Amino acid sequence: MTEDARPDDSGPTESDHGPTESDHGPTESDHGPTDRGRPSDDRNAAAARADGGLVDRGGVAREAGFADRVRTNPGPALRWLAVAAALTVVELGALVGLLAAALPVDAGLAALADALPTLLSRETIPNQGPRIPGEGWQGTFLGLSPAAAWGLRVALVYAYAATWFWWLYRGYRTYRREYRIADWTPRDDVLRRFSRHRWGQFGLVVVLAFVVMAMFAPALGPTTMERNSFEPYSYTITTYDEDAGEVREVTVGDANLASTSQGTEDRNVGFGEYDDFGRFHPFGTLPSGQDLFTFVAAGARVSLFISLLAIGLSAVISATLAVASAYYGGVVDLVVVLLSDATQALPQLLVVMLLSVVLSETWLASLYSGGVLLALIFALTGWPSLWRAVRGPALQVAERGWVDAADSIGLASSVTMRRHMLPYILGYLLVYVSMSLGGIIIGIAGLSFLGLGVTSPTPEWGRIVDIGQPYLATVSWHIAFVPGVLVVVVVTGFNALGDGIRDAIDPESEGGEGEATTAASGAGG
Amino acid sequence: MNRIRYLLRRLVLSIPVVWLGTTATFLIIRLGPLNPAAAIVGPTNDPQARQQLQRIEAQLGLTDPIHEQYLDYMVDLLTLDLGQSWVVHQGQETTALLAAYGPRTLWLGLWAVLIPLFVGIPLGMYAGLHPNTNRDYAASMAGIVWRAMPNFWLAVILLALLSRTEAVFFGSGWEGFLVDTELVGPPDLSRLGTVDGLLAAIKKILPPALVLGSASMGNELRLSRTAVLETIHDDYVDTMRAIGVSESRLVWKHVLRNAMIPLIPIITSEAYLLVGGSVLVEVVFGINGIGTLFYDALTQGDLPLAGSLMYVFIILTVSINIAQDVLYTVIDPRVGYEGDR
Repeated sequence: MTEDARPDDSGPTESDHGPTESDHGPTESDHGPTDRGRPSDDRNAAAARADGGLVDRGGVAREAGFADRVRTNPGPALRWLAVAAALTVVELGALVGLLAAALPVDAGLAALADALPTLLSRETIPNQGPRIPGEGWQGTFLGLSPAAAWGLRVALVYAYAATWFWWLYRGYRTYRREYRIADWTPRDDVLRRFSRHRWGQFGLVVVLAFVVMAMFAPALGPTTMERNSFEPYSYTITTYDEDAGEVREVTVGDANLASTSQGTEDRNVGFGEYDDFGRFHPFGTLPSGQDLFTFVAAGARVSLFISLLAIGLSAVISATLAVASAYYGGVVDLVVVLLSDATQALPQLLVVMLLSVVLSETWLASLYSGGVLLALIFALTGWPSLWRAVRGPALQVAERGWVDAADSIGLASSVTMRRHMLPYILGYLLVYVSMSLGGIIIGIAGLSFLGLGVTSPTPEWGRIVDIGQPYLATVSWHIAFVPGVLVVVVVTGFNALGDGIRDAIDPESEGGEGEATTAASGAGG
Repeated sequence: MNRIRYLLRRLVLSIPVVWLGTTATFLIIRLGPLNPAAAIVGPTNDPQARQQLQRIEAQLGLTDPIHEQYLDYMVDLLTLDLGQSWVVHQGQETTALLAAYGPRTLWLGLWAVLIPLFVGIPLGMYAGLHPNTNRDYAASMAGIVWRAMPNFWLAVILLALLSRTEAVFFGSGWEGFLVDTELVGPPDLSRLGTVDGLLAAIKKILPPALVLGSASMGNELRLSRTAVLETIHDDYVDTMRAIGVSESRLVWKHVLRNAMIPLIPIITSEAYLLVGGSVLVEVVFGINGIGTLFYDALTQGDLPLAGSLMYVFIILTVSINIAQDVLYTVIDPRVGYEGDR
């Protein structure tokens, strides 16, 4: 019973036709325990089997749940979980630290976090220390230069993240090989199409790199926001004083003052340069002397958090409204159409500005330096475009026989909508979510550039561009240049990923029109 | 006259949209946590300021019950009584400000629509006529990057580049090229009648228009490429080739023309994006148009002015939408009037 039991090419043709037919829907049944008691899906699965047999490879009756199948054949699952445990253990300190930071009250956890080992931290792989002539670098990892130590740490962080991704993929393969009943599901075809979509894969890699940058921001930077920007005078570094010929301590604040980038040759620390204190700056420094890479990495975290929160909220709103308006039709539909038209008649960027000014004095604006407020505003003004995108598929699925059938057997409306309509529009939602995310990132950056978005001292890419603008025509051009390039790359990545997912779930739409309105573009900022 | 009925229907349907939009603006400004009168007076608390606060509150009608305020507000907007500015240009009528600031934004918008048309579409068609060549990849890549580039960042980068062009443009640099203009600042629209004045006004607006139109340029490039690719594979093209129509005539007369059809509504929808995008571009390039006016009104606490401007923007967006739908039916009669809207 190999996976090739089914013709590998393009799958059954009927599933490719109606976009909502079965391309990504019934695969809900893959998910094990939840699909018990869903006879219709079981029938689908049986139909997909080459031999139509009713006994699984482990000899367990196929009616047995996912848990039973695992219990019968625990080996692969255990091996898979063991890898996860190993991956978690090496970063346990960072995880507990994150937990400690998230909980409002505690004292023990933070101390515990320090005691636990963390492989990928600046404590394990330090990248700062004095350089004593004749003896080389002191205090850095293996005596490497700060640049090399930092590079090693970055490489390790990305390798670690790649391992997790590989683990996830292996998990899916293992599930498919060992535990799944069906030999073929439409989702296999989706994955196969995506595995041939180089442009989409490029997008996935960029997006993952961005997410890793945001998640591991504290470990990636040559220094931390805490040491570098928030309390520079509470921390010291050791440096070699050439005049005195000895190692001395200097506060980070003082060192920053002497390593500023302000547009003249003697006051500039550019790409990959060391400052006078033996500190390595991969992207150079800010006009205040703070490390730009640290700032940018922390800014990635802010951008990702706000945009994910915003898009998550609008996805929930738009999916709910799309399914409800397609299911009920009539007045409900008309009201939703009106609401969305009215929301879209308000120019989004201007409303966002207006709201962020009007609400700037409220408690909402104090959450996450205005980030939560910004996310809420983007969600409230941005849902119509998502809703429009999934409205078509929702209307199509509402006309399907099984929705009538579900109604006629007396299923509650909410259950019909959630179980039998929602799964069919999720794929489309994902496409437009990916494409709109870029637009939100650009919008947030644009607002912060104007001084209306995320407030100081929280780092944000748009604010860095604003800070660096006066120096763009000088030797310190790196300040405003770097965040802009990152925005372009990340937004392109999200657009590419959206293209890839769309072509994977719906091959007929290849190169389709309507992209103008879907993909994020810089016009918003 | 089906088309006129369609237009009327669209107009009627747009009334609740405008109503909901303005009501939302009213709610944000009047019921939001920020008191418009307090925003005008600013964060001072001496007896004089308190008196002024009371006077402004009375003048704005903030002391009336909320339903009366709402009624007044809506009637004022309907009769195009847009009120006055309180901080940015104290005492000036909003309509007068619109007349003074509007032309510069329109000038910017005009060129921001034209530049993508004359750069994006030809490039896209060129790429579509030579699919999967290096030239195609270069053009497509440019389109992708243009689309993903934030306007404000492109603006500051372009400003920095143009300020360092002493050696280019025949040694005169950008500022001295052809006519003397400064890089930042509003275009002078008073001398459009003269050759020199027109040239200066156009040259002045080119960089900001290029920025504002960059995203549309990327979109139009990509769409026109797809359109050409689709048209070129149509059966009638093969037929024409078979009966011996020359290749250049085929491309110019038939392929490009038919490829244009799906593009035209896209162009009007780009105009819609410009409304919001103009704020950032105007602020960076120092053009005192409506976008800057809105930004100033917001940052300086002139909420009544900001509200009136928002109304203007809403009317503008809705009219562009209607114009686009109607245009669609004119260009492509296959589009039904019984759409789902």
